[in-house]
Amino acid sequence: MNSYANDKSFSFNDEINVRSITELYGDDYAYIEEVFDTVLKEYEALANNINSSYSLRDIPALKAAVHKIKPIFGFVGLISMQQQCQQFESICHSATSFDSLVNDYGLLKDRLIKSKLIIEEEKKKLEFFNTQRA
Amino acid sequence: MSIACIIVEDLQVAANYLMKCCEKSGQVTVKGHFVNVPDALTYLNENTVDLIFLDVEMPGANGFELLDQIAFSPKVILTTSKKEYAYNAFQYNVSDYLMKPFTYQRFTEALQKIQPSRETVSTSNGSDHIYIKADGKLIRLNNDSILYIESMGDYVKFVTHDNKKYITHNTIKNLEEKVSKLHFLKVHRSYIVNLHKIDDMRENMLFIKGNEIPVSKANKADVFKRLNII
Repeated sequence: MNSYANDKSFSFNDEINVRSITELYGDDYAYIEEVFDTVLKEYEALANNINSSYSLRDIPALKAAVHKIKPIFGFVGLISMQQQCQQFESICHSATSFDSLVNDYGLLKDRLIKSKLIIEEEKKKLEFFNTQRA
Repeated sequence: MSIACIIVEDLQVAANYLMKCCEKSGQVTVKGHFVNVPDALTYLNENTVDLIFLDVEMPGANGFELLDQIAFSPKVILTTSKKEYAYNAFQYNVSDYLMKPFTYQRFTEALQKIQPSRETVSTSNGSDHIYIKADGKLIRLNNDSILYIESMGDYVKFVTHDNKKYITHNTIKNLEEKVSKLHFLKVHRSYIVNLHKIDDMRENMLFIKGNEIPVSKANKADVFKRLNII
């Protein structure tokens, strides 16, 4: 992982696409912190939607739930996660049975959990960084 | 110029970002943010706006259902994470669609697309004809030769009695203002019809020389008012 922020810049987790973050928000770190905070607040409900759709073995609902959570990863620079969601949507689209989704769902779920941890960690780092700069 | 808009978006982070872009542009005033279609519809039944930033997939009803139910024709920019809506976007006269998350530069490009379009149709009150710019020339169309006008995104198609089609850069909203004093009426967000050419009406469809034209719920009362029903 990149080293912690210094006075002038902030180092994001390697999973985060810094170029994408810069294109969206420039160097407005206060706003970036706000974005991470908002994403975390929405995360639980969106992830629960995925879990409940999976429990109900409802493929269209599962696809819609993954579609719904997908853009939030883009807002926090987790581009590869966004792409994985897109791939899972495509898998749902062409799935012939629910059981054929199980493995891919397992992989997706693992990354959903890891992504949340990354967002939480980055939020804490941003909070600290912005406090130091104030 | 200030553009009055609403944001219909159930993802908070996306709505916040959009509000920030609007504020930064200095051109767009956000009149409201709604997380579902029914709430947006309630607002739009009592207020008009110039522009709607519209998410498509929302719980309950999708964004296109909102467009089906409003009585006026604001500009629409879709904010979506799916490319498959291109066809619907075309049908609904959507100005642009932004894939979430989008950059501020992409946002400003979308805004440029909703600036008032160049004059491509000229009318004069009491005249029996209009001129349209198509195929690099000004073409005279007699009012009575026009069957209907159909939206094609940033373009409109004039269909005439001899089954000719003329495509010009304009919008139904702009044309509605221009031809409303003539015997034309907007019956759907994508259609203006020549009232003199209607053969019959069944349920929510008008029939003009074999062409089926949908009538939206919001415009149905106006259609009945303008038809000579005895």
